[in-house]
Amino acid sequence: MKSTYRITASFFLLAAAAAASAETVTVITRENAVREDCRFLTPVKIKVSYGDQLDVTAREGDWFRVKFRNAKGCIHKNAVTERTAALSEASKKGYSTTSDEVALAGKGFNPEVEKSYKGKHPELDFNAVDGIEGYRVTDDSLKAFIKDGGLKQP
Amino acid sequence: MRRLFIPAILLFLCIGHASAGIFDSIQKGFDMMSTTSDATQKAARPISDEEEYYLGRAVAARILQTYPLMKEGKLTEYVNTVGTVLALHSEKPYTYGGYHFAILDSDEMNAFACPGGTIFITKGMLMSASTEDELAAILAHEIAHISHRDGISSIKKSRWTEATAIIGSKAAQNYGPQQLSQLTGIFEGSVDDIVKTLVVRGYGKTQEYDADKAALIYLSGSGYNPEALKDVLERMVSSGKGSEGGIMKTHPGTTDRIDNIRADIPRTSADPGPLGKRTGRFTALLH
Repeated sequence: MKSTYRITASFFLLAAAAAASAETVTVITRENAVREDCRFLTPVKIKVSYGDQLDVTAREGDWFRVKFRNAKGCIHKNAVTERTAALSEASKKGYSTTSDEVALAGKGFNPEVEKSYKGKHPELDFNAVDGIEGYRVTDDSLKAFIKDGGLKQP
Repeated sequence: MRRLFIPAILLFLCIGHASAGIFDSIQKGFDMMSTTSDATQKAARPISDEEEYYLGRAVAARILQTYPLMKEGKLTEYVNTVGTVLALHSEKPYTYGGYHFAILDSDEMNAFACPGGTIFITKGMLMSASTEDELAAILAHEIAHISHRDGISSIKKSRWTEATAIIGSKAAQNYGPQQLSQLTGIFEGSVDDIVKTLVVRGYGKTQEYDADKAALIYLSGSGYNPEALKDVLERMVSSGKGSEGGIMKTHPGTTDRIDNIRADIPRTSADPGPLGKRTGRFTALLH
């Protein structure tokens, strides 16, 4: 009988510990990637977008080991926050939200404000800015460039 | 054993989020506390990376009014690749919208770091570099300004305090026309502050010196020769180029900048093989 109690208690203690350590991080860049290893330029396991919530399984230096959908891999700490991206349940019920939650929910200087600013300044060429942002350096060309120039892998 | 069993169950119930009733009560308590603390936190909230990105886009559009964009595909690709390598070795490898590098069609010697990650380098500045490592040194300095959020720090504090009051109010879950107009005005003023700093006033001396020191770290981390920063600065002094405006107008004295980094240049053994390759690909594109 004693051993039954012992097993049951151990089970609950383990479950409690697991619940306590469960952690998620939220993507704070417009787009990013969960990578195979905790290094830049390793193969992409899955692409992620702003606001995606990833389950953290471990930390490795500047990287989080995460699970997202069916993929497991690493994401750099700079691409995520440990706060929530969506307005919390509390705010939906009319309670106050924290200022960080408001920022993460897209309040503040956002596309709506940019649109209004553009309206006031039609002389500004935002299409050119979009063009600059549209330029991408692929991982493969970066790797080749680094190798060819005797540079260090990040 | 019973004495252990009961606390274990209680611990599980508290941590396990399963009991909605208990948890809701705790949550409401925290929410009430956050309502009170919100008022004091509003002014303190920093500008988020996303907000920095939208400011940077407007700053970039303003700069493009004065300096036309140089549409040279291969050169733009090259500058973007060098810059991306450096950015990945910085303390802020990712920004909300990523790093982007573009060339301005101007003979003036200058470079601008728009908040959020867009970096402009003028054709004149690009041509002042004689190697890829020197180009990397110029870009590393600008990346440091983004990483240190120097552009954002030039916004008048009163503007952001006013903005957070509007952003933080419950009524502003969706902006009304008046709130949107107010926020747009604050946004516009903030963009003006940054553009004035970038183009007219320049950053503070400390910000420039810190950016130079950070650039040395990015350069050596990437495998570039950090001495290249000193080399490019020395050439600026000896050539006297740009002394009538551009980067000379907005940066501290170049000789002072050289003195500032001299002691901090990491000692590296530059391998002539890769260095030659880097210089070769640079020369093929630029000279």
